[in-house]
Amino acid sequence: MIFNSWDYYLLFLFPSAILFRLASQRVRPWVIFFSGSLFFTYFSYTQLGGLVGAACLGIFLWECLVSRFYKPGYWICWAGIAQTVVFLIVFKYRNFLTDLWWPDPTHNPLYWKNSFLPLGISFFTFEFVHYAVDRYRNKTAPGSVSEYLSFILFFPTMVAGPIKRYEDFLPKLRSVSREWALDWQRGVTRILAGLAKKFVIADFLTAYTNHLDRADISHATRAVLPLWLLAYGIKIYVDFSAYSDIAIGSARLFGIQVPENFDWPYSRTNIADFWRHWHMSLTNWLIDYIYIPLGGSCVSAGRVYGNIIVTMLISGIWHGAGVNFIVWGLCHGVMLAIHRVFIRLYPTTQGTRPWWSISLAWLLTFVSVNLAWAFFCMDLHTAIFFFRRLLLG
Amino acid sequence: MAMEDAKLELSRTEWTKQLLEYLGGERDEPPPAFPVLLSNWWFWGLWWGALSVLIFLFCGQSSKFIYIDF
Repeated sequence: MIFNSWDYYLLFLFPSAILFRLASQRVRPWVIFFSGSLFFTYFSYTQLGGLVGAACLGIFLWECLVSRFYKPGYWICWAGIAQTVVFLIVFKYRNFLTDLWWPDPTHNPLYWKNSFLPLGISFFTFEFVHYAVDRYRNKTAPGSVSEYLSFILFFPTMVAGPIKRYEDFLPKLRSVSREWALDWQRGVTRILAGLAKKFVIADFLTAYTNHLDRADISHATRAVLPLWLLAYGIKIYVDFSAYSDIAIGSARLFGIQVPENFDWPYSRTNIADFWRHWHMSLTNWLIDYIYIPLGGSCVSAGRVYGNIIVTMLISGIWHGAGVNFIVWGLCHGVMLAIHRVFIRLYPTTQGTRPWWSISLAWLLTFVSVNLAWAFFCMDLHTAIFFFRRLLLG
Repeated sequence: MAMEDAKLELSRTEWTKQLLEYLGGERDEPPPAFPVLLSNWWFWGLWWGALSVLIFLFCGQSSKFIYIDF
């Protein structure tokens, strides 16, 4: 729950934001550190893994300790990246990976029966890797212990982003906006708008998206199936953009502006443009830390397509430990590669295109993205069954 | 009239986008010729009230945020 619970606002957000504003510059990072630690411990204990979940706060402290040894060009940075990836694999992919070898959990010696995900692990992994890589490349300043702790434990963005960058966060932490009235006016407006989007639209659509299971799909008339999938497409956008609104609005109460995540993605007229405006902080991270290190667009055409597909495949795997997420990532990778082939063959500019061409491009993008959501919201067998029913009856 | 001119200058869609972003707290500047400034506490008080009413009316059906699971 978190962002739609009273605990979040009354115990954490408002007291911490006010205390942060009133504190001296020297103390402010420690306010974020202590409030972030309490936030992580409280919600981990009450909603996730109990005491063991709360103890995962140690991951942040360990990361901070290791990060103090990062230096440009130094191997410790790679060790830091490796340990971060190992944390993610152990908590998120252990059962998925061992199930591939031992499909029956009762015969799987490595099966973790009461597995849980530490709060925000998928997102703080990105920030840990970003810092290690950028320290290795000497692209970011080390900052002090308290500043790095406040970066990784800044609770408005801890659970599900937006994914921050240290070189962007540090100057804002060191020179916090003094416009209390403006920040609180905009921050509270953004939080209320986010909550309204979540409760009024996203949760309303849940009544339709709940039908996306095998039993309901097998009994439904064909005409209703695309409507359920469309409901999911709208819901995931409204839900996640509402979440981002609340996170960004919460950060604004501290006087800190964090990156935007969405910019009208469903109005875009090609798949590459869609990804430039959907979950932007993730897309930028994938470009900087996966796509470009693979060679980006500065290699042969064949390898560029490969890089695109590999990047989206990793995005799919990150979204969830399931074959359906791999297929979802592959779908988007292939769509992006096809789009790249198309613009190479038929280069054009937006201004020269007739209205019907733009409308058709929008429709194709919208339908493709929404069809692909089937692999995101259903397991692979159910998604295949969904398409079989949709196409063959 | 001024608002109509501003809409034509920007394109109606872009102006509406900017208006929604302003009302949603994303933009600090109103779209051109929109008469409500941030200093108009009456308007924003009413707007917050309207959003709060919507939230309280619909909060009974609350569910988890999708991305929390990741």
